Amino acid sequence: MQTVTQTPPKDKNEARLELGEVAFDIRNLDLYYGNFHALKSITVQIPARQVTAFIGPSGCGKSTLLRCFNRMNDLIEDVRITGEIHMAGREIHGPDVDVVRLRTEVGMVFQHPNPFPMSIYDNVAYGLRCQGVKSRQTLDAVVESSLKKAALWEEAKDILDRNALKLSGGQQQRLCIARAIALEPQVILMDEPTSALDPIATMKIEELMNDLKKDYTIVIVTHSMQQAARISDRTAFFLLGEVIEFDDTVTMFNKPSDARTESYITGRFG
Amino acid sequence: MNSRRRIYEATTKGMTIGATGIAVAVLLIVLLYVFRQGIGLLSIDLIRGNYWSENINIAFEEPEAKSFEKPADIPADAHFSSKFGFALADRKDPQGADLMTVVYIDPESPLHTAYSTTAGATQGQHVSIHQEASIQRIQYLNTDGDKKTAGPARRMFSKDTIKALDESAESLVLMYYQTEGGGIWGSIIATLILIGVTLVIVLPVGVAAAIYLNEVAGKNRLTAAIRSSIEMLSGVPSIIFGLMGMAMLFPVTQVFGANGPSILLGALTLAVVLLPVVIRQTEEALIVVPQSLRMGSLALGATQTQTIFRVVLPNALPGILTAALLSISRVIGESAALIYTMSTIISDSPSLLQPATSLAVQIWAITSAEQPNFELASAISILILAMVLVLNITVKVISVRLNRRWSA
Repeated sequence: MQTVTQTPPKDKNEARLELGEVAFDIRNLDLYYGNFHALKSITVQIPARQVTAFIGPSGCGKSTLLRCFNRMNDLIEDVRITGEIHMAGREIHGPDVDVVRLRTEVGMVFQHPNPFPMSIYDNVAYGLRCQGVKSRQTLDAVVESSLKKAALWEEAKDILDRNALKLSGGQQQRLCIARAIALEPQVILMDEPTSALDPIATMKIEELMNDLKKDYTIVIVTHSMQQAARISDRTAFFLLGEVIEFDDTVTMFNKPSDARTESYITGRFG
Repeated sequence: MNSRRRIYEATTKGMTIGATGIAVAVLLIVLLYVFRQGIGLLSIDLIRGNYWSENINIAFEEPEAKSFEKPADIPADAHFSSKFGFALADRKDPQGADLMTVVYIDPESPLHTAYSTTAGATQGQHVSIHQEASIQRIQYLNTDGDKKTAGPARRMFSKDTIKALDESAESLVLMYYQTEGGGIWGSIIATLILIGVTLVIVLPVGVAAAIYLNEVAGKNRLTAAIRSSIEMLSGVPSIIFGLMGMAMLFPVTQVFGANGPSILLGALTLAVVLLPVVIRQTEEALIVVPQSLRMGSLALGATQTQTIFRVVLPNALPGILTAALLSISRVIGESAALIYTMSTIISDSPSLLQPATSLAVQIWAITSAEQPNFELASAISILILAMVLVLNITVKVISVRLNRRWSA
């Protein structure tokens, strides 16, 4: 059994981000949906190879900021962005940035599991095939290692050609994580990845995140403060498009420095 | 509730029931009429037969009289020739005219040695006499060696003809007969060619346009304007498309060598008629594909083209198939746009660049002839109705499956 990590054959000239480095350096980021000012001068540094949680009430801009990291906001019309996000020294909104390439570096897992209606194998191989990888050997190896990392291999190894929609919700979400991992990204963005799942499936995903942060930078948007407290190293509290507080999760939950953070965490609103 | 309100309730309810009743009754009457008129004529011979009857002269390699046993299973009204081993009977054609047909041929009969003497490509070739063929004239040599003629051309029908043959004929000289016409095989083939060529033209264009409108183009005023003008196109009466096709698309078919109305011209015109339908249907199919799949694909570093071809289109396929099936049923039912572009000349051996009629236009052609043939028209109508029904049921089944897939 091969456990070597297969590097996707794309031109990875930058080294992988290490613990202690900054994955995203966000400086004075403002974002408008038409006239609506959705993000207000955000300045935050997301640490590499840690789990960073975004919490806050609905509509406060958590997901919007998350979607800036892989430029999914490009798909929404009438979005205007000012300010900078640097990833490994590059401004990711710059004109010379290859968005398709950026999205292989910054993977994303959505709120509702969205496997493609094709086989499990094809789902995991999808990203690499889009990069032009055809070698069956490479694909086999990546599918196996990705499913292993996503803790789905034991359940899926005998049913790789079964339609992914036949899996349970939790399995589907782990498949979506495996699908993102297959591209060997630096960062995995997770937009409320467990809100559509039952507690046991949620627990599995949380355990998985704990394993994955050894190799990947994880940014997760969550509505559950318990989840943020359980899994994240750092937490950012959002309110009405602003980052009110960004600190170590332990500090944040024990000794929040802002009164609004405290009232949110203690459940007085939100 | 007072009595006035109650009466008002009852009347309005009664009116809705009455209206539904009228709708159902009218439908049933139409169907009943078509079936009663046409079902009697519907047969394999009708479907496989040519429309135009052919006049054929035949002679025989072994024309001499022998002796034959009268078989037991020939129709009661048939007359059997014990010298030549075949039976004739009197029949009426769909127009009600008398005709005399061969209803039985013995395996040893001289009729099995028939060859064509009609001038043309088939001259000298073996002819197998079509049962139900209408015999006009039979020429024979009598015992004195004189040529004699019998048959409907001499006002002699089956009884007199057989009597004349069995009393005095020594050998057969020639037979002149007409194949039975009134078939629809040519129109069936023309309809199939028309369907195939129309789909080949309209599907790629329509699907590509729908992809542009739904996936590529931004949601702005221009797209909205394009979309609503396409929708307006679907309201244009097809006869106008027919005129347009005759005037503007004919030069296109000339390039391919057509010199008048042709199936190709009809197909081009119908492609224009169907374009809005295909675009509309395909768009509906694309809209149903969940946005989350597109997002998932793009987030994995797929380009937009890859997303469209690998995720969106495969999932829209049932909807596109629906568009194709709806197009087929429109092609089968369309007549106005084809009258100018494909002509109303019924063809027994249609080809792409020649005029021909589809089944629907054949109905038009035979009912606007001097002697309208309502039975044949009704028989064709039954076939068209059956085909459209099957197509519609298939569309229903597909859309039910599609809904189940995304709601699961």
